[in-house]
Amino acid sequence: MNFDFTDDQHEIKRTARDLLGSRSTFEKVRHAAEGKAYDDALWTELVGLGWPGIAIAEEYGGQGLGSVELAILAEELGHAVAPSPFLSTVTAAAVIQACGSDEQRSRWLPALASGEATGALGVADGLVPDADAAAVIVLLDADGAARVLARADADVTPVDSIDPTRRTARVSAPPGRGEPLAGEGRHGTDRATVAVAAELVGVSQRALEMTVAYVKERRQFDTPVGAYQAISHTCAKMLKDTEGARSATYFAAWAADAEPERLAEAASLAKAAASDGARDVTAAAIQAHGGIGFTWEADVHWLYKRAQVGAALLGGSAPHRARLARILAARLSPTAV
Amino acid sequence: MDLTFSDSEAAFRDELRAWFATNDPGPEPSGEDANYAWRRDWQRRLAEGGWAGVHWPREYGGRGATLTESAIFFEELGRARAPLPANVLGLLLAGPTLMTYGTDEQKDRYLTPILTAEEIWCQGFSEPEAGSDLAALKTRAVKDGDGWVVTGQKVWTSGAQHSKWCMLVARTDSEVPKHKGLTYFLMDMEQEGVQVRPLVQITGEPEFNELFIEGARIPDENVLGGVGNGWKVALTTLMNERSGLAFFLQVRLRQLLDELVEEAAARGLLDDPVVADELGRLHMKAEILRLTAYRGLSTIEKYGAPGPEGSLTKWMWSETNQELAQFAADLLGADALTMGNRWAYELLRSRGNTIEGGTTEILKNIVAERVLGLPRLKGATA
Repeated sequence: MNFDFTDDQHEIKRTARDLLGSRSTFEKVRHAAEGKAYDDALWTELVGLGWPGIAIAEEYGGQGLGSVELAILAEELGHAVAPSPFLSTVTAAAVIQACGSDEQRSRWLPALASGEATGALGVADGLVPDADAAAVIVLLDADGAARVLARADADVTPVDSIDPTRRTARVSAPPGRGEPLAGEGRHGTDRATVAVAAELVGVSQRALEMTVAYVKERRQFDTPVGAYQAISHTCAKMLKDTEGARSATYFAAWAADAEPERLAEAASLAKAAASDGARDVTAAAIQAHGGIGFTWEADVHWLYKRAQVGAALLGGSAPHRARLARILAARLSPTAV
Repeated sequence: MDLTFSDSEAAFRDELRAWFATNDPGPEPSGEDANYAWRRDWQRRLAEGGWAGVHWPREYGGRGATLTESAIFFEELGRARAPLPANVLGLLLAGPTLMTYGTDEQKDRYLTPILTAEEIWCQGFSEPEAGSDLAALKTRAVKDGDGWVVTGQKVWTSGAQHSKWCMLVARTDSEVPKHKGLTYFLMDMEQEGVQVRPLVQITGEPEFNELFIEGARIPDENVLGGVGNGWKVALTTLMNERSGLAFFLQVRLRQLLDELVEEAAARGLLDDPVVADELGRLHMKAEILRLTAYRGLSTIEKYGAPGPEGSLTKWMWSETNQELAQFAADLLGADALTMGNRWAYELLRSRGNTIEGGTTEILKNIVAERVLGLPRLKGATA
């Protein structure tokens, strides 16, 4: 057993961190968000590297790697708060790949893998991040079934969400529009859920790093504020929340490919932990930054907003906790539920 | 990343399950003494089956299990609803510390009786005026011929009433900076000059003790790791405590949570969304603890000794265990709050979780300073 990345996986992570560190600075995030646009140069570069297709099978034009590699990239893009349709594209693709027929995969996946089309995934009649810019939209209906639609088949109304790094829209499509995906939607959604959790882990990690750097520098009463236990203990808790969510998320990413029968539980573990963690960690980051943390000029709010929207995506922590309780009860007392 | 058990790990697990299938620890008795005797007997049976020191090297009578196999052992212990062995401190703390710093003679003398629970060990670190600040301890050992004479007082000495040996840290030089003048001793508890007084706890039971040491003698050959090296040797013990013990204790947490879920199901409470929400949350936290402990094992396998990350799992465990006990009390109501009720005991006992083995405040200091590299406030230590 090895609960650590392989050398190749470490290399993917390092490469992603280095690349995004130089290309997706907060200056660029700000520019894109204030202009209500993606960073197109960044997206072109990511497409060139094959990132949108990292977990799509090679026969559909992807790189054929797994959920762990996808989680690594999602985490790093979250760390960078990258203004790009990456997460929405890969999660839409994950559902199509897991639940679509061969014919549906052949039709939809190559364009998503190559970045020629971007995707979006969300609940019908709800707010769907990146739907305003997406060519392919996967909608989850109330009964758990999934439909895939070309943009023209859906009713898409742009909405300004609190996270301006995404092109959010309200999406609806009357029954009968689009194609129902052949398979049961839950398994694909769980894979997508893990990717969202991974992004939230990256957001938490960035908030932690920014805060630690800030409180080492910022002095009050002739002392770095990070030396005061009220602050240092806050930072310690940020680390605990981040690492806990990371443990659950990496486990879920691994289970998605290696032990899919454990994916339902693992995905809910990851999403509940990452949602709670990211909201708490980014809120603590603002607090530890003091007054400056509350301003538009300080970049910490981009993280807080990403965390809030991500936490609400594909089920907040409450429905995932309820699902965990059902799974646990069924395991312990099969007759009880 | 690959969390699949290898063939040899799976074989280890199957062998262990087969052993548990024919070795039932029986029902848990209540009361401190009866409970302790039961756990001691259980450890003897583990030792006879070759399962006591699973993570100890074979040359010391262990099973030479890898860290992953040890984790499997603890999880199977939980699955079998078996208790922790009586000599936990010997197996997890004294044994590994002896293996790291002991002479050949010391290893020959002490390791086997630890495995068989023939000689129980306790840990004499904390003092009334030096709880979290180990370097401030005042117990003195003065050279006298071919040995040492010790005087002082220890407190919170878990299991001292059952112990033959004590891992004792005492001051042997008061002229040097305070953490440099310490020495780590193996002290025989069965001698005049060592008095154990039960410290009745919040639970009404004496699990911990005060230890009064008045002119006790320790021969030179019972110094561990060299005179003046006590700080370094003690840190090894503490690191093992925070990484190993938390892994050990998560098994108990899992057992309690499963029992609470079953009890809630039996009372038809699982349909209550508030109950389900909290049970789901506790399950999440218990799993995160287990998974983070596993991640820690992989780190140790790759980079060697346990790091300060063990502080994280200890913190996670103590917090979750307290929340679990409190929720059980909330869920079951006054019925659970009678003396003798196991949930009442857990509720009271759990208050100690965030104090014993390093208070949460100290663990946060360690994380902040050693993991995050934050500056230290003048005068404060971790």
